[in-house]
Order: sequence, then C-alpha cells, then structure tokens
Amino acid sequence: MTLSLPGPTMPVLAQAAADTAASSTTAEVVLFWIFAVIALGAAIGVVTLRNIVHGALMLVVNLLAVSGLYLSLESGFLSVIQILVYAGAIMVLFLFVIMLLGVDRDDLLTETHLRTRVLAVAGGALLAGALLFGFVGPYTGDASVCGSGGEGGVECVGLVDAKEDGDDAGVAFLGRAMFTRYTLPFELSALLLTVATIGAVLLARREDLAPDDIETVDDAGLLPPDDEPGEPGLVGSGGDEVGTAELREEHATHGEGAASGERRDEREG
Amino acid sequence: MEIGYYFALSALLFCVGLVGVLLRRNAIVLFMCIELMLNAINLTFAAAARMWGGPDGQVFVFFVIVVAAAEVVVGLALIVNLFFRRGTVDVDVPQLLRY
Repeated sequence: MTLSLPGPTMPVLAQAAADTAASSTTAEVVLFWIFAVIALGAAIGVVTLRNIVHGALMLVVNLLAVSGLYLSLESGFLSVIQILVYAGAIMVLFLFVIMLLGVDRDDLLTETHLRTRVLAVAGGALLAGALLFGFVGPYTGDASVCGSGGEGGVECVGLVDAKEDGDDAGVAFLGRAMFTRYTLPFELSALLLTVATIGAVLLARREDLAPDDIETVDDAGLLPPDDEPGEPGLVGSGGDEVGTAELREEHATHGEGAASGERRDEREG
Repeated sequence: MEIGYYFALSALLFCVGLVGVLLRRNAIVLFMCIELMLNAINLTFAAAARMWGGPDGQVFVFFVIVVAAAEVVVGLALIVNLFFRRGTVDVDVPQLLRY
C-alpha cells in the first residue's frame, strides 16, 4: 500500500496479492494525516469565512486534499477526475457565478440568531458523534482492509473474478465494471447531463428583455427584497381580511417610496 | 491504514458541510456546503471500495460526481435567476409560496 510509484496506480489487486504486512505503510499514514488536516481545515473555512470568494478558494483546497486522499486510497483515476471535474469545471462555474452576481462581500453570518447557531453546531456535533460511534467504530480494527490478512478480516469481493479474468487493476478494472455491470446507469448519467444542460439554458435565458432594457433590470435588481426578513409578522398569519397584495404594496410604498412601488408593479405584472 | 480513519474523516466533513447548510443563508455558500457533503460521501465510497477491493465503490463515486455536476449547473442557473428577479441570494428572502 505504499505510494512509491513504480506503477502510477499501484493497483488494489497487486497490493492485495502482495504481502500482507505492507497494508499500512508509513507513507500512507503520513499522506492521510496531512490531507485529512488540510481537508478538514478547508471545510471549516468554507463554512466560516465571510467572503464568498475566500470560501470558494477554501473549497478548492478541500477538493484537492480529497483528491490526495483518493490517491492514498489507490484510486488514481478518481483522483484525476476529482481535480478535472470538481476543482476544474465546477469550481470555475461557482467562481464565475460569484463574479457575475458581484456578491463578494456578504454575509449574513452575523445576522444569524445565536440560538440558530448553537443549535446548528450542536446538531452537527451530535450527528458527528453518532456517525463516529456507529459507523466508524466497526471498521477500526486491523483487519478492516481486504487483503490485510487479519483475523476475521474482510474478504476481497471483486478480487476473485478479476483475477480469473486476468484483469489488471486500476483504470481498466474500473472501466470494465462501468461498461459492463453499470452500463445502464452510465447511459442514464449521460441523459442526466443532457437534461441538466437544457435546463440550465432554459433557466438562464431571459426572453422577456430586449438588450436595451438592461439598465432597467439593473435598477430592479438593486431594489431591496419585497419583504424584509426581520418582519415576518406583517403578513404572516393567513387569516387577515386585508389582501396580502395590498399589504405588500403598502409595505413597499412605505419602505421605498411611490416610484419604486410602481416599478415593482410593473415588474410583477 | 485502517479504513475507519477514512470513514471518520468523511463523517466529520459531512457534518461540517451540514452545519454550513444550517448556518449560512447565502445560496451560493449553501451550494458549496452541499458540494462539501457530497464530497464526504464520495470519500466514504472510495474508502469502502478500497476496503472491499472491488471497483463498485469507485463507479459510484463517478456517478455521484456526475450528479453533483448536473445539480450545480441547474442550481446556479436558479440562483442567477433569483438574483435577477429579487436582487438577492439570501435564501431567507424569497417567500412567494408562503402566502
């Protein structure tokens, strides 16, 4: 299980077939701890940093660290895919949207109620404890990795068939599984990507606007939202006799002056 | 390396992402935290694939990445739309369905 790279993906099979004591080398342990600390710290950074761009960059760091963890799990293909798709495509999409919307200085973490914050952190800690107790506990033994040869260890599931096929591990191993047993999900994922692309195009298109209306839209985009989050009681209960539309209009005129209220009507109409 | 360490790390990452989803109100940050959670699950799958020595876990990671990409594409399009209509990406503000 060493990462000394004579074969770039020192495959699972060869490892498992190799001697059993090599199952936990220091290289892997060191790699794991380095990448684990980076991943966890970056994840906490994503949650706590107020600047969204910093958060996105922290997410990139987290994705790269997880990619390193894939490498130490001998999933070289996944590691590359992680960098290409996640750290490349998806994060570029995120940063592009952040740039487009110009929402680089928020946020909102200060406005969250203290009770909400305490409850959220407590819930997360509770879930973490439960997961660590019930889900991690059974797998901390020495025999938890297949081929490590411990007493009552895990048996290698895919190993026997693959050996009979004379299969080499690594990408070919993965590709053979993907294009035989998982062909239908593979095709369906292609369909899903197509649907997502069409949906994004439809959602992002705004046919109601001529190009010279852009200024108006910009003004409208800068308007404050219809209902301030702080005043839910204004139209909150469903049973009032006054129509909610009137209330909202009154609220709007009160808050922003008649001109913007008029503009809002135009926008909603 | 016992596989439990990987499971523990991914459990912690998942919970950090969950706390982020609960705490933050910016829709983009929300999506980033969801990515964090999906990523943690991917790590679990990869660790399980290593544990069993089979390819299935890695195949599942592949599919999860595909689904996450699709989700991000549609979700970010929705966020852009929301921003142009409402002028905000705060998820607490839109309450159209409330009345």
